[in-house]
Amino acid sequence: MGVLHGLLWPFQKWNDLVLPVGRWISIAAIALMVLAILVQVFFRYVLNAALPWPDEAARFMMLWLTGLMAPIAFRQGGFVAIDMVVQALPLKIGQIMSLGLLFISAGVLATAVEIGWSEVTGFGGRFNTASLYVPLAIDFSEWLRVPRSWMMASLFVGVVLLLIVNIELILRSIISLLGHGGDLKPLTPEDEVMAE
Amino acid sequence: MLIWFLPVFLIFLIIGLPVIFGLLAAPGILLWMSGQEKDITLLYRNVYNGMDSFPLMAIPFFMLAGELMNKGGITTRLVEFSQALMGHLRGGLAHVNILSSMLFAGLSGSAVADTSALGSMLIPAMEKQGYTRRFAAAVTAASSVIGPIIPPSGIMIIYAYVMGESVAALFLAGIVPGILVGVGLILVVRLMADRYDLPKAERIVRKGQPVSTREYWVSFALLRLNLGWLFFAIFRGATGIGNSDTSALIPLVTYGVGVLTAHVLLMGLRNKVHPDFRTVSKRAVVPLQTPILILGGILLGVFTPTEAAAVAVLYAVIVAFFVLKTMTLSDLPKVLSRAALTSSVVLLLVGAAMAFKTVVSLSYAPQILAEFILSLSENPLILLFLINILLFVVGMFLDAGPAIIILGPILGPIFVEMGVHPVHFAIIMSVNLTVGLATPPMGLVLFVASSVAQEKVETIAKAILPFLAVEILVIFLITYVPAISMTIPRLTGFVN
Repeated sequence: MGVLHGLLWPFQKWNDLVLPVGRWISIAAIALMVLAILVQVFFRYVLNAALPWPDEAARFMMLWLTGLMAPIAFRQGGFVAIDMVVQALPLKIGQIMSLGLLFISAGVLATAVEIGWSEVTGFGGRFNTASLYVPLAIDFSEWLRVPRSWMMASLFVGVVLLLIVNIELILRSIISLLGHGGDLKPLTPEDEVMAE
Repeated sequence: MLIWFLPVFLIFLIIGLPVIFGLLAAPGILLWMSGQEKDITLLYRNVYNGMDSFPLMAIPFFMLAGELMNKGGITTRLVEFSQALMGHLRGGLAHVNILSSMLFAGLSGSAVADTSALGSMLIPAMEKQGYTRRFAAAVTAASSVIGPIIPPSGIMIIYAYVMGESVAALFLAGIVPGILVGVGLILVVRLMADRYDLPKAERIVRKGQPVSTREYWVSFALLRLNLGWLFFAIFRGATGIGNSDTSALIPLVTYGVGVLTAHVLLMGLRNKVHPDFRTVSKRAVVPLQTPILILGGILLGVFTPTEAAAVAVLYAVIVAFFVLKTMTLSDLPKVLSRAALTSSVVLLLVGAAMAFKTVVSLSYAPQILAEFILSLSENPLILLFLINILLFVVGMFLDAGPAIIILGPILGPIFVEMGVHPVHFAIIMSVNLTVGLATPPMGLVLFVASSVAQEKVETIAKAILPFLAVEILVIFLITYVPAISMTIPRLTGFVN
């Protein structure tokens, strides 16, 4: 059991420390998304001169928001699933089945990580975004056109974080299956998911 | 071979794999088994491209606007306003519950948010008045499904995006069906009120409430500007005076006259209603401006739905921070975080659905299913009946969003081919699956109502049956009378 707890510790620690950072970045991202679109509304309808960057900037932030927040939702059990069968089964069999499902999701995520990396570093990532620039100098004299790979990295980072959460959930599931679920720190949801 | 991804997906779903992973695992495995590994990369790309969309941005924005409004204390105002209108009827608070849901639906696109916000306020209040807890919870859950039917609606944004329809057309098509569900529920309560002698309530709960000077003047101005615009639009429609081809001064003057007329009318009504009723109504003006802003902006062609959603967020911020002053900066991170969390799940799901949709097309599943469906009957009316039953059964087990994402690309093309208008079919699917949120055994709003009311799901599920019966009736009305959903989009030119 000590070995399992030892294996769980780094994943749990990582998720405890890194995911909240993602949450704060996402909080800023959603606020900036609104701001970007409002700036566009003002320029398009009031000044009659649409800007090239707000739409793309807002999409950039939405993609990162998804990549950084989805792992938090997954960890809190916020991914929609029909859990009737698992709940109807005897406890042990239900736990084994849940573990099996976690292995399937791990397979999906591991494949996504592999493809994601080749996508970000591959041909598609070498292009630049259409209208996004970041300053390279404090006096704004030098600008870098944002590569598309920065945008594409959002999903890659998302699936990496999801995979780490998935591994944590697998280890927790094995510990519970072995009858030591009571020792585990509860993953209490901080927010409810209210998509419907 | 590839067609087997559908049964594999269903098995994954039934055994409890999260929908997102099921949408990717089933086609992924089949592609791998049929030696099409390269297409698995296509799946990944489609997840990314599916999420990288401007129209989808309306989802986080509407969620944020709803969260801000809710946190900003508008729920109380809407409930008090509904009570002032319907509280005096027999079964008063049950009516209030339904009317509040209809009003709330214009601000939020989420049935769960509706159940949670209204339930926590109205279920205890109803219980105190002698209603059973299960009845109170059942009314709350049944009326909450109006949330995603009356615009704005998260489900309709998703459907429009996945199926390539116009969000604005779907929003407009949802108005009458949503009102119809509300009216149907009110009629059920009316019948039950006589039979079970349900109590009346006070129209005004808190007498002598103050309204801040700022809110007073904001409401004062908004009411006159809106009514003035309504008069102006009617006048322009009837006479043609003030259209854009005339001088810019004429519309302005006509609108000014409209505002003045509205002012005179309101001043005339002023002394005819009780001051407390006036106060409660005044306090509802600011929140109820949100749907006017959203729909008005879209209808007038000023905003796209995404821009309207961003403007709704700005309006909610102004209301909560500067007009009502019910929120502080320290409340903001929590609200933003909740909206971001929910959005991330929905957006990832939509991305996965777009990848799934590619495989649906590659596998010829719609064609094969179409053949099967047409072998049952060639009469669209019978097939629509059967499809409604299928959707209802699916809705009993699956939430509306994922169900729409999965079934839309499969069923949509079949019925459109048979001559059903895409917007009409979208509304049939959306309303049917939204009602599914309140059906046992897997109804999301039933679970929320159960947790808010501290009552067993099974007990609420029994009490909700009369309301569900009416909702099913409305579904069939919408199905067989397309004019119910299609008239507004047609009149406004959003549908040909």
